[in-house]
Amino acid sequence: MTKKLLIAFCLALFIIAGLCGSGKAEDAQALVQASFDYYRGKASTATVDMTIHRPDWERVVTIRAWTKGQEESLFWITAPPKDEGNSTLKKGREMWIYNPKVNRVIKLPPSMMSQSWMGSDFSNNDLAKSDSLIKDYSHSLTGTETHEGKKVYLIQSIPKLEAPVVWGMQKLKIREDHIFLSQAFFDEDLKLVKIMTAHDIQMLGGKLFPRAWRMQKAEAWDEYTELTYNELDFKEDLPENLFTLTNLKNPRR
Amino acid sequence: MTVDVKMAWRNIWRNPRRSILTMTAIAFATLLLVFMLSFQFGSYDTMINSAVKIHTGHLQVQAGGYQDKKRMRLAVPDPGAIGTILEATPDIEAYTYRANAFSLVSSKERTYGIVVIGIDPAREASVSALKKVIRHGSYLSSTDTNQALIGELLAKNLRVGLGDQLVVLGQGRDGSVAATVVEVKGIFNSGQDEFDRSSIHIPLSHFQEVYAMRGGVHEVVALGKSLGAIPAIKKTVAGVIEIKDAKQPLVVLDWMDLMPGLVEGIQLDLISGLILYFILIVVVAFSILNTFLMSVFERTKEFGVLMVIGTAPGRLTKVLLLESLTMTAVGIVVGIIAGILITWYFQVHGIVISGTSEVVRQFGIPERMFPRLSFLSITIGPTLVLFITFLTALYPALKVRRLQPVEALASV
Amino acid sequence: MHLQLGWRNIWRNPRRTSVIMIAVIIGVWSMIFMGAFHRGMMNQMVENGIATLTGHIQVHQAGYRNDPAIENSMAEPEVVQTTLESRLPPGTRWTARIRVGAIASNARHSGGVTLVGIDPAREARISFIGQAVTQGRYLGPDDEHGILVGKALADKFETKLGRKLVLMSQDSDREIGSKAFRIVGIFRAEMEATEKQFAFVTLRAAQHMLKVENGISEVSIVMPNRHEVELVAEDLRDALPPSTYEVHSWRELLPLVNAYLSLFDTFIFIWFLVVFIAMGFGIVNTTLMAVFERIREFGLLKALGMKPWWIVRGVLTESFLLLVMGTAAGNILSFLSVFALSGSGIDLSSFAAGAEFAGISRVIYPAIHPKDVVMANLVVFILGLLVSVYPAAKAARFTPVEALAHT
Repeated sequence: MTKKLLIAFCLALFIIAGLCGSGKAEDAQALVQASFDYYRGKASTATVDMTIHRPDWERVVTIRAWTKGQEESLFWITAPPKDEGNSTLKKGREMWIYNPKVNRVIKLPPSMMSQSWMGSDFSNNDLAKSDSLIKDYSHSLTGTETHEGKKVYLIQSIPKLEAPVVWGMQKLKIREDHIFLSQAFFDEDLKLVKIMTAHDIQMLGGKLFPRAWRMQKAEAWDEYTELTYNELDFKEDLPENLFTLTNLKNPRR
Repeated sequence: MTVDVKMAWRNIWRNPRRSILTMTAIAFATLLLVFMLSFQFGSYDTMINSAVKIHTGHLQVQAGGYQDKKRMRLAVPDPGAIGTILEATPDIEAYTYRANAFSLVSSKERTYGIVVIGIDPAREASVSALKKVIRHGSYLSSTDTNQALIGELLAKNLRVGLGDQLVVLGQGRDGSVAATVVEVKGIFNSGQDEFDRSSIHIPLSHFQEVYAMRGGVHEVVALGKSLGAIPAIKKTVAGVIEIKDAKQPLVVLDWMDLMPGLVEGIQLDLISGLILYFILIVVVAFSILNTFLMSVFERTKEFGVLMVIGTAPGRLTKVLLLESLTMTAVGIVVGIIAGILITWYFQVHGIVISGTSEVVRQFGIPERMFPRLSFLSITIGPTLVLFITFLTALYPALKVRRLQPVEALASV
Repeated sequence: MHLQLGWRNIWRNPRRTSVIMIAVIIGVWSMIFMGAFHRGMMNQMVENGIATLTGHIQVHQAGYRNDPAIENSMAEPEVVQTTLESRLPPGTRWTARIRVGAIASNARHSGGVTLVGIDPAREARISFIGQAVTQGRYLGPDDEHGILVGKALADKFETKLGRKLVLMSQDSDREIGSKAFRIVGIFRAEMEATEKQFAFVTLRAAQHMLKVENGISEVSIVMPNRHEVELVAEDLRDALPPSTYEVHSWRELLPLVNAYLSLFDTFIFIWFLVVFIAMGFGIVNTTLMAVFERIREFGLLKALGMKPWWIVRGVLTESFLLLVMGTAAGNILSFLSVFALSGSGIDLSSFAAGAEFAGISRVIYPAIHPKDVVMANLVVFILGLLVSVYPAAKAARFTPVEALAHT
């Protein structure tokens, strides 16, 4: 049954993409990994404005972010003043949130993982499972195009057979200089659910980097969340003790 | 005409015992139906009223779309204005404001995603049963801020007791982080597991502050003076509200919109009841058919004579129908009066259904049931009885038309 | 001799006898048929409750019922299993399950479900799920990634056979355990709530996802019949240390159903009584008529020296025959109508939400219960004869003079 399904699935993809399990898969895999490494760096610190846009309403949150490798991140809200000090720690696939007003750290239960993070169009899962793209998918090259005079690889990512991911497929666009241009999420009917796009590529933190990222849902184009980098520094390393529950409460600036 | 009536009346009393028995049978059926229907209607009222008193109320004013999507931002911006409208609406018993937010609620050991409800303690007590179902600790007072009421099952799940702290973390109306620490002040058990497992209640003022509601609420919940008054109230309120604010529409939902399963449950019960009553009346009809038949066949000779002297068969039919209808009418009137008296007695004193505490608790029905007399409950049964007895009487009355005078005279 | 005489007497006026007999027949039919209908409803409620993962008896780790979290699962189910093997009477079946609250999600939807890890072969003989899969297939013994979901849940999630569902729940280390499953089967259940609530995977798969090695949440036991349940439950309570294990019978697990059940006999008896009163009037009236028609005859018999008791007996014999025929026909008719409906049942789908609210099935199969049939017939017979005493006594009291004066 599963085998049959898999064959049917591959056939369908073959028609759509003209490729299935091609020899270029490894290249694609390497490309995704390289791109991932490029934008995460070994470690980084950043200041980001997160704009949550709705047709009748908008809200901007400023976040100070630290990342290390693929597993660890720390986010600390610095504005608006009312929300200052709220923070989120991600370690592996677990997440903790801290609120200064109640001075309490709460570990997110499974039931909250699919809820939105800070009211944005990102879910807690999007953050917690950010490395899922590497771990849970097989990638293949489906074509190329050009962007600002550079070659762009079109990559189709299919979840591995029993990977715990909800998407039916992802489509990535990665520029030859490893800059991530877009990531589109499809359901199992291969219909677009949401898409993240990169904009405004410029020198940031010593390398070319998209200054703005926008996540929007296919069914509501006038609703989106945009991340704009104000500051970005790539580091060789960050101390391990940065990503701890103690630091969640009171991160170093 | 008067001769016919007189004739019918006299015929009835030719055999008083039989007629009385027949009328008693009709009266019995009528009485039973009046009582049972009043009882059913009464129990529906009780059921609806206790169901609405757990939480939903008779009707609610909400922002359009809130009922389906439960989005934080779909709020009623100026609840005071709605309150003023409700004050001016006749037949409103009480009303209150509520705001809801899906939030993380966390004790020392456990974290659950549940609904935090902001309530106005004083107003809430007049609308819902929340205050009455507090089993441990006490209800919120108007001066409380970060105090909470929690369902018994949720308290178990979170492993908290009175005085324990709960951390509440959610998102405000403006998207900001909403956080507070509340102390368990009371533990309630409404008997409705779903409700007792999925919410905590905090004072509305505190809720509005924490969730940045800017004075807004999600539901204005009203209780009417009686269930019958709800459609009129709904119409009035909807009329005023729709004119008042067209840009961000507000809607009025009644208990049927809020609890569709309850309505269908009632329909199902009513229909199954009516089927039982119908069968019952058919049994009664056959029980009395013999009386009607007898009044024809006993008097075959008499009818023969009447026909010979020139009475039209149609007139005979009329007299016979008059006779049975008079009996039916007497039976029904007696039945209605007796039914009303008996029902009235129980309407005042209530009927205790023993051994049902569990059933009753689960459905939120009080242990004492009160039948409720209404125009419908008094008329539906008797109409059914009248209709079926008329059909029954028609058979012998029409039979008389086929009577041959000569044969009739020959019969003994 | 009496019977013959009575028989002849009641057919003196065949129309009248037929009419009253029809009243008795309809009365008896409605008693038994409506009784069977409600009994069927009731039985289904009980059976549904038991089949929907309750069973007749359940064994849990102490404290689980108060706090059904994975931490309160049985770490060493072998102890319970050996006890069960040695204590349970033959014919009894049991199975172990994991039952835990979980979040199911796909690309567009997510929501809470109760994840049930089952031993497919054993479970099939115990709960409804064995026969409930209408699309796709049931779980195989080594189905590591197969999941069964209800039709209503599949609709809510806009998903279908072959599609993926990711489940997340807190595992035994209090971390997030997640695992992808593929929908291999879609089941239907009596209640939509059941279809929405439960998702079934193999016990092994659930144990892997929750990181419990051999742990189980409950043992569910089904007996060949319901009578011995309390005895066996008591026996298990003695055998298992109460500090570690809790044993509950279905009456404790389904208090609402149990309460309904105890109300039900009263309800049926009242219905019988009411129907009887309705036809009782007819019986009295018809018998009275028959008696008054024969005033002269009775007077004459008395003048000839017949004892009043004989007359009473004669009239009662007539009623008796009438009742026998009426109830016999009523019984046959009700058996036939129950039989006719036993295949298709009575469909309440148009009131699905209402039925759901009242906790009854969408399709009702009337069930004839010997107790109800005996009760209905007894009510009709005893009370029927009792009310016939009045006309019979009347007949016995006619004096010859009175009778002869009557025209």
